[in-house]
Amino acid sequence: MKRFLVWFLPGLIIGALLIIGGRKALDKTSTNEYCMSCHIHPAADNSWKRSVHYETQSGYRVACVECHLPPKGKGYLWAKGTTGLRDLWSYWTKDSASFDWNERGRLEHARIYTYESSCIKCHENLFPLKLTKAGEDAHLYYRQTKKTPDLHCINCHLNAGHYIEGYTHGSNKTFGSVSSSPKEIFTEPVKVAGFASFTEQIPNSSVSFKMVAIPGGKFNMGSPDDEPLRKADEGPVREVEISPFFMAEVEVTWDEYLAFYAQTAAEGKSSDTELMKSKRQLEADAISGATPPYGQPDQGWGMGKRPAISFTYHAAETYCKWLSKVTGKTYRLPTEAEWEYSCRGGTTTPYFFPGDPEKFEKSGFRAKLSKNDTAVINSYIIYRENSPSKTQEPSRVKANPFGLKNMTGNVAEFCSDWYQPDAYSNYSEELIVDPKGPDSGEEHVIRGGSFLDMAGRVRSAARNQTRTDDWLKTDPQIPKSIWWYSDCFNVGFRVVCEFDEKTGKL
Amino acid sequence: MKKSSISRRNFLSKSAVVGAAGVVAPAIISGCSRGPVPFKPVPEGKWLDEAPDGPVLKAGVIGCGGRGKGAAVNFLSAGPNLQIVALGDTFRDRLDDCKATIKEKKGQEVPEENCFVGFDAFQKVIDSGVDIIILATPPSFRPEHLAAAVAARKHVFAEKPVCVDPTGARSVMATALKAKELGLTIVTGTQRRHQRNYVANFTQVAAGAIGEIVGGNAYWNGGKLWHTPNNPTWSEMEWMIRNWVNWTWLSGDHIVEQHVHNLDVINWFTGKHPVAARGMGSRQRRVTGDQFDNFSIDFVFENGMHVHSMCRQINGCWNSVSERIQGTKGYTDCAENLYDLAGTEIWKYAYPLDDEGKPAKGKMKDPYVQEHIDLVTAIRTNQPFNELENTAISTMTGIMGRISAYTGKETTWDEMMNSDLKLGPTVFAFGPVDVPKEVPISGEAYVEKK
Repeated sequence: MKRFLVWFLPGLIIGALLIIGGRKALDKTSTNEYCMSCHIHPAADNSWKRSVHYETQSGYRVACVECHLPPKGKGYLWAKGTTGLRDLWSYWTKDSASFDWNERGRLEHARIYTYESSCIKCHENLFPLKLTKAGEDAHLYYRQTKKTPDLHCINCHLNAGHYIEGYTHGSNKTFGSVSSSPKEIFTEPVKVAGFASFTEQIPNSSVSFKMVAIPGGKFNMGSPDDEPLRKADEGPVREVEISPFFMAEVEVTWDEYLAFYAQTAAEGKSSDTELMKSKRQLEADAISGATPPYGQPDQGWGMGKRPAISFTYHAAETYCKWLSKVTGKTYRLPTEAEWEYSCRGGTTTPYFFPGDPEKFEKSGFRAKLSKNDTAVINSYIIYRENSPSKTQEPSRVKANPFGLKNMTGNVAEFCSDWYQPDAYSNYSEELIVDPKGPDSGEEHVIRGGSFLDMAGRVRSAARNQTRTDDWLKTDPQIPKSIWWYSDCFNVGFRVVCEFDEKTGKL
Repeated sequence: MKKSSISRRNFLSKSAVVGAAGVVAPAIISGCSRGPVPFKPVPEGKWLDEAPDGPVLKAGVIGCGGRGKGAAVNFLSAGPNLQIVALGDTFRDRLDDCKATIKEKKGQEVPEENCFVGFDAFQKVIDSGVDIIILATPPSFRPEHLAAAVAARKHVFAEKPVCVDPTGARSVMATALKAKELGLTIVTGTQRRHQRNYVANFTQVAAGAIGEIVGGNAYWNGGKLWHTPNNPTWSEMEWMIRNWVNWTWLSGDHIVEQHVHNLDVINWFTGKHPVAARGMGSRQRRVTGDQFDNFSIDFVFENGMHVHSMCRQINGCWNSVSERIQGTKGYTDCAENLYDLAGTEIWKYAYPLDDEGKPAKGKMKDPYVQEHIDLVTAIRTNQPFNELENTAISTMTGIMGRISAYTGKETTWDEMMNSDLKLGPTVFAFGPVDVPKEVPISGEAYVEKK
């Protein structure tokens, strides 16, 4: 008995101390001050202090761990342990000042460190009495799709925990209305005689842009089987002949797009519902342009010469129709074949500049080890490694052999073809002339990769497709906009202008 | 879409809620017999013939037409200590008629200061100190009235249908969820869910009596409904509202207004709602308004199952108001009978006996009263019961069918959940009504080529 007491009592006491101490340690390491002792990010601290979570209506202050760790009993300890270890590693090995905190605050990154279960823990009732009409629709939608792992509360409530300057999750009626300083206003489109590069002028605006004459020719479309990082949809390689045409030197800029928006934007929101309106004849002639966007289409990165983003495929097509109308020429989206022909500019390598995709693709630690020289790729395109995480002006890069800039990288580009993974194998093995892609489909081709893509996805032959449902996921409007994507900010387009070899007409 | 549909389990748990309130016993999930085992009926639940006693519950009626009058009397027949203390209607004559009926049949006098007339009468009734709101106006007003009643934290009896367009349906779905969070009880006028033979039949089907459900039919084929001829002293608005069952913006058309009962039974028994409608319909003999008088809709469910729906309001045709659901082991009329695949009756609802000792349907508790017994019981036993979301889904089902027939196109649930269609004028006042009045025509006209 004595022996038992000798061993048991101290055990009991130590155990009790451990439990109490452990709990104390847990509490102690869960305070805001403790978090901030290692997480040195003054910008994030300040934006938290300006957010609605810092000063809630009830006066409660939401702590770091209440959003950035799951609720207790739902993986709290595990998450605390693993993130704690990773934080220690970062603390010792990295310089927090070198992080791009703006990028970290963006949805893709924020959702990794914000737990939906923690949102729900406090915001239990998704249908409080004070919920607005727009909120009702949005929460009904969330309720229907809540099992979709990629719809998170912060898809719409991104600024709840950290204030974001200029963040709007509402109809942005004043978008694009800021007029720039007065410049020459073009009254006429430019007159073009013959097949030579020209600078188009958009009438009733001060906007002009360069169109490059692309001579006709033959090329091999697609990538050979042995091209590094190639995907199956890039083959089999087909020999293609392309007739001469003009292609815009750069992706359609915000300046260009806003000229269209200003001249055509519909007042308020016109209904997109066809159903009951089948009898109402739409005016065949007038081009009704985009409605005001929801949120901030330029992502706050600035407009001007940066490529326009966030607009829908339908909007891009409408832009081309409008541009054709005001210039008297025939503008449209390029076919996928025209696009790749223009991109290659006579090259047959993975890029229109020298380099091995596999070497460029390496990043971080591996890149340092292999001492990659990325100077070449950096000088030609904006991709994941040099963007940093946003679009850039075309002046940042050098042109391709045809004189076109950002054919790959910066933003991906809409093409007129329907996307099918096996589109090339459905083409004849003989020489094909000006192919236009499959007759029908669900989604369209996008080409060129973007500032979000690694080197492998910005090869000349890389193909991709639109994802309409995903790109409208958080648009809470009923019906969803046909003009603006709520969840896509890395796709734009480039116009081509047709040229009739027989008549010389554009 | 699948996530919004109401699973059979949900329905069961709902029955169980009512069961706990002493209305329907929940002994349902037991006998899921497989193979050639002879069918053994599951015991039925116990029903209350009257709501339990308790402190006075005061109700206000909004919409004093035929159904409002009926619902008021049904409510007062549901149990002890129930009162109607406020009335609201657009028209004084309808209100007076309702007031007189309540006095004549139930001996209660609604005080004059609680009688409100006009488009804003609903809010005054809600604010008059009542516990329960009875909503029986034309359905176009229902979403707004429901939202106002729930915002004031009132229990509700709401007549079906609960809206006429997709915008209204979504509003009601949200209101239903808000009410649920507040623990309010809402019973809707889809009284088959409170009709004893239907519930007993559902209990057997849910226990597997006819196997897996693979298809069905829903009918509301009946004669012409009423219409009100114009009166030169009325404005257009007054005539439209007095003639509301003939105008789509007020009633939702008869596939919504009337046939919703049968569509609701299909959704109830299958535990799902259709995801698409492929319909047609026309107007052959209707006298006033802009509605069709016949619809035929093929409803498609997510699992590929089809249910056919048919409704008509024309005199002198084949009539039937019923449902039929086909399972892998048999079929049911959803009310009295279950049959095996050979057509042999395997179950029949045991109606109460009449004076001569024979089973008599007429002796079954009136479902129009039963729904109010269930309402009052849920409130008095503090067991909230809320069937509003189900009814919103069934109403949306009818709306989807109607639009598919009007347009001649397949119409999907997704489109409905994303449609901004809102019928009716933006301003409610007596005078001309700014709505399209032509009868919808589907498809394209043939044009002779030159």
